[in-house]
Amino acid sequence: MAAEAAAAGRLWLSACRAGGHWRRLCSAGLLRGFLQPASAVGDAARRRQLAHFTFQPDPEHQDYGQTQKMNLFQAVTSALDNSLAKDPTAVIFGEDVAFGGVFRCTVGLRDKYGKDRVFNTPLCEQGIVGFGIGIAVTGATAIAEIQFADYIFPAFDQIVNEAAKYRYRSGDLFNCGSLTIRSPWGCVGHGALYHSQSPEAFFAHCPGIKVVVPRSPFQAKGLLLSCIEDKNPCIFFEPKILYRAAVEQVPVEPYNIPLSQAEIIQEGSDVTLVAWGTQVHVIREVASMAQEKLGVSCEVIDLRTILPWDVDTVCKA
Amino acid sequence: MRKMLAAVSRVLSGAAQKPASRVLVASRNFANDATFEIKKCDLHRLEEGPPVTTVLTREDGLKYYKMMQTVRRMELKADQLYKQKIIRGFCHLCDGQEACCVGLEAGINPTDHLITAYRAHGFTYTRGLPVREILAELTGRRGGCAKGKGGSMHMYARNFYGGNGIVGAQVPLGAGIALACKYNGKDEVCLTLYGDGAANQGQIFEAYNMAALWKLPCIFICENNRYGMGTSVERAAASTDYYKRGDFIPGLRVDGMDVLCVREATKFAAAHCRSGKGPILMELQTYRYHGHSMSDPGVSYRTREEIQEVRSKSDPIMLLKDRMVNSNLASVEELKEIDVEVRKEIEDAAQFATADPEPPLEELGYHIYSNDPPFEVRGANQWIKFKSVS
Repeated sequence: MAAEAAAAGRLWLSACRAGGHWRRLCSAGLLRGFLQPASAVGDAARRRQLAHFTFQPDPEHQDYGQTQKMNLFQAVTSALDNSLAKDPTAVIFGEDVAFGGVFRCTVGLRDKYGKDRVFNTPLCEQGIVGFGIGIAVTGATAIAEIQFADYIFPAFDQIVNEAAKYRYRSGDLFNCGSLTIRSPWGCVGHGALYHSQSPEAFFAHCPGIKVVVPRSPFQAKGLLLSCIEDKNPCIFFEPKILYRAAVEQVPVEPYNIPLSQAEIIQEGSDVTLVAWGTQVHVIREVASMAQEKLGVSCEVIDLRTILPWDVDTVCKA
Repeated sequence: MRKMLAAVSRVLSGAAQKPASRVLVASRNFANDATFEIKKCDLHRLEEGPPVTTVLTREDGLKYYKMMQTVRRMELKADQLYKQKIIRGFCHLCDGQEACCVGLEAGINPTDHLITAYRAHGFTYTRGLPVREILAELTGRRGGCAKGKGGSMHMYARNFYGGNGIVGAQVPLGAGIALACKYNGKDEVCLTLYGDGAANQGQIFEAYNMAALWKLPCIFICENNRYGMGTSVERAAASTDYYKRGDFIPGLRVDGMDVLCVREATKFAAAHCRSGKGPILMELQTYRYHGHSMSDPGVSYRTREEIQEVRSKSDPIMLLKDRMVNSNLASVEELKEIDVEVRKEIEDAAQFATADPEPPLEELGYHIYSNDPPFEVRGANQWIKFKSVS
């Protein structure tokens, strides 16, 4: 995360002198530009409608069969649909998932698969994860939803002390590998303290679990399917600002993107920029700005899996 | 007053209207107080409950009416400002639940303590903050009670500990405040509120256990408005008798739409705690007209007919008004005048809230720690620094 600031900082200082066009770019994302002091009241609404980045879709992938235009939440629904179809033991549960979820990630699944496979839980995160661990230990596939990543903390003990260490402490006799926890993640502009947090760092030092953050619908579906099929408990954070903003061509059939593999999105020779989730799109803009304005060639890496992370790719870059 | 006198004099004289004098017409005397019957509370592990009749003085009646009307108008104004995008972020309105905040305040002293969840605007007002500071906090201006940094869910006042975003997290806090009350020995109690959705959180049961074990003067209050966001209580709870959920803690179920019922129950509960008997649980059966928050239309999980029915049969302001008018504690015109006064107050407050400047950018990093001397906090990148002063 710190690597990107180098290019960004110098860029901003030089670009600040320029006007119009750069002002839009400057007001995008990481720089002081976006923290504009309030002026006229009428400006307020307009000011906040600008997102701080532009989502950059990947080119369409040809190797996975027919594709369909989907945004991030539709890609997640598609992945869950594929999972429930393939795996008869898979169940989805969480707060308000039955009607489709507060971000519409589970729309239509209850009608399709029945109320004993897609069901609501009461308001109890610790209970949801603990319950999920229990389901997973018996061998069924448990896909739990924590309504916002900010609410994952009551479940922190269950994840870190129970889920992560189950296999180890039972000497591989038991495990809760078929547990996947999905949660909307990251800042969205109006979320303030409790609807904007990015808690992946808290989990990044806990051996036994995997933490994954996708940057786009295509990545999300493949990574989510990999998490569900992975034989370790996984936490899948979905950048909520991208739920509607990110639209791409996504294959309809199931496919997997391997975990613990970072992706080099853009090759470069001078500086390495590493990011994940929403920030990947900001970094891409930074990289092109660096190339144009400073002649610096940046290598952009999307880490994808935070834990265990792909040390080789980052070090070789 | 003037309008009322004019009307009366018209009736008496039957002739052309004369300018009314300011002398109080003797024939229009109001009663000083009236006795009302209130609903009996369901009890759990209690021999006796709060009384079934109560005396309401004219003064108190007018006070409660004004407070409830102020909360109602303030919430509706917040709704309006939100739709105009002057208030952003999250906004959870409590119109329909005015009898809870006003009734609870009427049953306790200003030195008692209160903590609640995010549907807190009404409590912020009843605990003593002026409407202009509340609205300014909603619009994020420096005149707001948390200097514009807290917003809708994080408002605080003297002996009012918020305003908490995480569901259920405030209940162990309330038990802690009750411990401090007991420790300080000043005969204070702590009202710890939570909703029907939060009632299923584990930490609430932990708080029950601690409070009962150490006999803390904590009144646990479940504001049951029948829906936890969009989930009705039957679909979320194995037992919807929230007043019994404390198990070993005695409980009462109270009609939360009747301000007098809430007041009597609160007085009873506070007396219970102050006498050293330990915690007690109250379930207030109430209703909210708006959805869970401003982004929830509120009609996808309940029918408009249901909302309309509650509004016409059990609206707390209407109930109090009918009682007062029917027992001659006040006249319709007098209450209308209060309405006009309240409306003006809210308009002024909204004007202030819209015109006040936002807090300066330099203050973004303040109050992270308590530190001396000030230190620097990194912003969105390492070249942006904010000074953090406390």
